Formats: sequence, structure tokens, C-alpha cells
Amino acid sequence: MADDRTALESEARHFHALFFRRPLPGPVVERYVAANRLCFPVLDRKAREMVETIVARRLDAEAIELALRLRKGSRVLTRKIQILFYLVEVRSEYYACFINQVPGWWRAVLRLFGAVVRSGWKCAKGLYLVWRYDFV
Amino acid sequence: MYDAVIVGSGPAGAFSAYALQGRNVLVLDVGYRPPKIHDLEGNLYALRQQREDLFEELIGSGFEGLHNVHKRNISLKLKSPYMSYIVRDWAKLMPVESRNFEAVASFALGGLANAWGAGVFRFTAKDLESFPIDVADLEPFYDEISNHMGISGANDDLAPYFGAEPHLLPPMRLTKLASDILDRFRMRKAGFERQGITMGRPRLAVLTEPHNGRAAYQYDNLEFYRPYDPAIYNPAFTVDELVARNRVTLRTGYLVREYREQDGGVEVTARNLSSGSYEKFLGKNLILAAGTLGTSKIVLETNRDYESRLPILDNPMACIPLFRLSRIGAALEIHDSALGQLNLIYQGAGSPGLLQGTIYGTTGPLRSDVLFQFPLSIWANLTWARYLSPAMALLMLFYPGSSDSSNYIRLKPDGTLDINYEWKSNQVAERRLIRAFRRIGYLSAAALCQYPAMGSSLHYAGTLPMKASAGRYQTGADGRLYGTKAVYVSDGACFSELPAKNLTFTIMANALRIARKVRASLE
Repeated sequence: MADDRTALESEARHFHALFFRRPLPGPVVERYVAANRLCFPVLDRKAREMVETIVARRLDAEAIELALRLRKGSRVLTRKIQILFYLVEVRSEYYACFINQVPGWWRAVLRLFGAVVRSGWKCAKGLYLVWRYDFV
Repeated sequence: MYDAVIVGSGPAGAFSAYALQGRNVLVLDVGYRPPKIHDLEGNLYALRQQREDLFEELIGSGFEGLHNVHKRNISLKLKSPYMSYIVRDWAKLMPVESRNFEAVASFALGGLANAWGAGVFRFTAKDLESFPIDVADLEPFYDEISNHMGISGANDDLAPYFGAEPHLLPPMRLTKLASDILDRFRMRKAGFERQGITMGRPRLAVLTEPHNGRAAYQYDNLEFYRPYDPAIYNPAFTVDELVARNRVTLRTGYLVREYREQDGGVEVTARNLSSGSYEKFLGKNLILAAGTLGTSKIVLETNRDYESRLPILDNPMACIPLFRLSRIGAALEIHDSALGQLNLIYQGAGSPGLLQGTIYGTTGPLRSDVLFQFPLSIWANLTWARYLSPAMALLMLFYPGSSDSSNYIRLKPDGTLDINYEWKSNQVAERRLIRAFRRIGYLSAAALCQYPAMGSSLHYAGTLPMKASAGRYQTGADGRLYGTKAVYVSDGACFSELPAKNLTFTIMANALRIARKVRASLE
């Protein structure tokens, strides 16, 4: 159980660092561990090894998640990151990450365009990583 | 012996009780209620900025808000911690098996109407063509319920399709986006009408002014998170009011299993969920109002019939996102509502009858509820959600219930309901609507349409349909079940057809009509 807890805490920290440039609040780590125990009481070996490899090698989980989602592969990574997003979205310090507070059309359009370009790059990178590490 | 035993407290049960109040009436229900709510007052978005952490309120200590992450999808409205009582234990108390129908039932006081969209639609003569009753039979009951619960809206171009409401409260305030859609529609109204599209304001069982002791709506965006908003009508309000005035008796914690007719009445057998024992209740009449699935199960169980396949109706849905490019990056309107903003009717090409659409904003759910449905990377999806939400509306298009004979509900010997419902859109109507909206500056694409699984509309009906000359597993025009002397069906199960409209208001009116006839027979 202690090992499991350490692994889940590392997961939370790794995923969080990919998306948010701030320290991960303690209560979110606690809840991430508890939520994973509820949502994934038993993870199949393949999924567990995939997540362990991503965390241990500091791989780009965003890219791998996109590749797996588009290829309709394992949903475990998507769900784990989704849990983290739920847990941070309900905290006020993350409000601006989810809700735009600075109105502006050009700025928004440029960011949307950038997001699409970034997605293309992440998709290519993700497909390579999925192939390289045999994540299915 | 009671004058009547009513099973269920949803829209049908509440108005059956309302009709029979003052008589010796028993309402039997499981009757779950919301948990105690700790201080969830104010606007959702203001609260999200002001309170450090809304975990308890939006996710819940039991992680209720994560339901769809690890369990079968249910409506976003049913999974938040204070709303999850609506579907508490339903899969245990009424298991359903299906490969293509995502059924949901409620054992809460007030039933699934605890989470309804509050859309109020009268059935027209065309909608009632297959029924053995007509508009004149329902009209006085619609009027009475309208006065009782309070309806806001406008008698506009949609009145011929939704019926004219004599006593409307002022319509709800529109968001900038909805207001813009309506203005642009009005400028090109003739063109839209040539394509069979009519648009107007929705009629909602939502108070825009205080009414019958209930407060007006606050535009606080909390419909997904806080139950029993006094401004949004809930049948539980009526049941509680009748009980408080000693007009009916309510016994909760009972799951009705079956009934048996005997001399002078009906014996109802129900399981006491606390003790596990079975108890019997006697009534001169029995009114089944347990919701379409619940009522069907009771009838089939009573007959020990594990073979018959009853018909079932549900509204197929298509969800079309609409984007207004000029509003990209605008400030989110936080004083909004998750309720319907506009309604439209489509009766053009590709329509298997009259289709009804409701346009919603996007401020109700959390972003995490929808982020992972878009085909970009997570960070890109988050960026799109952040900047595109103020520019986005969702058109939820409802199709009429399909009377295809391959759609059925059956009770298995182990008590599980087996449901089959097949439907596939040919996308003709969606494409036509997308083209029409493009002409007024709202973009979309057929590839972006989403099709919620059958059963997601929660508009279940037609398992024990009313017929002029009823046969086995059918009901008469008075709601009486064929082959019985005093067993009535007053919920959606007795609908003969399901037009593309929310059926709740008509369930209420029909239940009131049927129960008034029962009352007349007692007097």
C-alpha cells in the first residue's frame, strides 16, 4: 500500500508538472491517491507498466495520451489525467487556467491556432513514443 | 383500506396525489432526499474564484463527481455530490441490461424531475393523433398545472407547436449569444421558415417572479450542483406541500414489487428497504406512477411474465455545437443558466416528423467534464475550452420516439429489465440545420455532431400504451390497465406515442386527468 501510495504521488506530480507551472497543492495529492484507489482498484499489468514507465522516464504524457486517445487505445492514462484535472479545477488558484479572464479576440485566435499546431506536434511525438515503448 | 394507493412521487405520482388530495390516499415511494447542503449560495463562478476549494461541493468526499471517469456515463446533472441522490441505488433496485440503451431511473422523492430541464411543452392535436384522447381532454389540466407551478416564457412563433400558455411569467433573460441568435433568426425569418425552421423562447417551469411562495430564479449557474432550487419546479414540492397540509399520506422507504386485485380493491406488496420484509397495503384503486421502467416492471412482475416484449419509446438526440467566431475570447457570462435558452422546431427535409431543438449555453458543467471529448491534445483542448466557450452554444436536437417493433423492454426471471433500442441518424436534418445556422454566422460541421446513447434523454414512454380498445398490456383512455378493475397507469408508460418534446408536462396533465376520473368514481 505504501509503494502504491508513493507511485500515485509521483504520478500526480509528473502529470501536474506537464500542464501547470506551480507547486501541486497537498490536498490534491491526497485526493488523487484516494480517487485512483476508488476508480482503479485493480489496474491490469500492461496499463500499470505503461504508467510506471511514463513516470520513471519522465515521458511526455500529454503526447502519449493524445496518441492513445486518437488510436482508441488504452483509456487509463486519459482517465488518470482527467482525475487530476477535476481535482485542480475546483480550486480557486486554478480558475484562470480554465476560464478566460482577459477578453481579447486576436489573442484568443492566436492561442487557438497555437494550440492546434501544438496538437499536431504532440500527436506525432505521441505516436512515436507509443511505438517506441510499445504502449497499446 | 385507502381510497387509492399511488406508487411513485415523480411528475405522475405528484399530480395523481394532487388530484386525490383530501381523500384517504397513500403515496408509496422509496423517496430518497438530497443530503444536507453546506452553504452553496451565490454564483458558481464567483464561488469558484472566492472559495479556495470547492471539492466537497463539486466533486464530493465520495468522489461522486468522478462517476463518469470509472462508471457508465450518466447525465452530468446526476453525478455531482448534492445531486447524486437522484440516482442513488437505482441500478441495485432496478437492474437493467442492454447493449444499446443507457437507462437511468430515480428512486428520489420527485423522481427524475429533480434534474429535469424544466422545458414545458403541450402536446398538440398532431402529437395526440395516436392517443384515444384529444387536446380538449388535456387542456384544462395543463392550465391548472401551469397555474400551480408557474411557467415563464412567451407566446411567440412556437405557440402553434407548443400550445398557447394563458398565464405566462416573463421569459428568462437571454445570454448575449442566445440573444444574438434570436435577433439574427428574426432578420432572416422568412428564409428559415421556407426551410421548415421556427425559433422562439422556451417555456420553462422556472419562476422569473415569485409565485405561490417560491422565489424567482437567480441566474447562479448552480443547476448542476444544487438540488431543490425553489425557482425550478420539482414534483417533490407538491408532495411535501400535500403532506404538510395532511392532504395525503406519504410512506417512504418502500419498493413496490407487485399487486393483486381482490374483491373491492387492490393489494399492493412492497419491500420495506430498512427491514427487508414485505408489507401489504390495501387500496380501492391503485395508480401506478413509478416511471415508465418502474411501472412496466411492476406490471410484468405481477403477471410473472418473463417472455413478453413490451414496446418502448425514447427521444433520440443529436448534439450540434454552434460557434460564433466574433465572440471567441470574449468574457464568459457568469450570470447565466444551464437551462434552455431558445427552442426551435424543424420540419424540413430529412425529418421523420417534427423535430424539436433546444439551445443551451456552456456554463453548466465543469471543463473537465468535456475536455477529453475533443480531438486535440489535453492542453490544446483546455485552450479551446477557455477561449471558445463564450462563442459556443449547443443545439440539442430531439427526434420523435421510434415505434420500430425491434425496440422492446422485457423482464427477465432474475428481475433484470432487458431493453433493446436501435436508432441511427441519417444526419440529413443536422446538415440542413448546420447550413441554416451558417447563414446567420454560426458555424458547425456534421463531423462535430455527437449522438448521446439511446436512453440518455430520460424521456421513456409507451410500454403500456393507451388505446381506444385496449388489449393485453395496454391501457384505456381512462388509464385503466386492460384486464383490471381498478389498476391505473398515470405515467409515461401509458403514452401512445412520443413526439420530439419533453413529456413531463403532459405526464403531469394526463396523471391529473386520470386521477380526477378515479376521484369521480369514488364520489
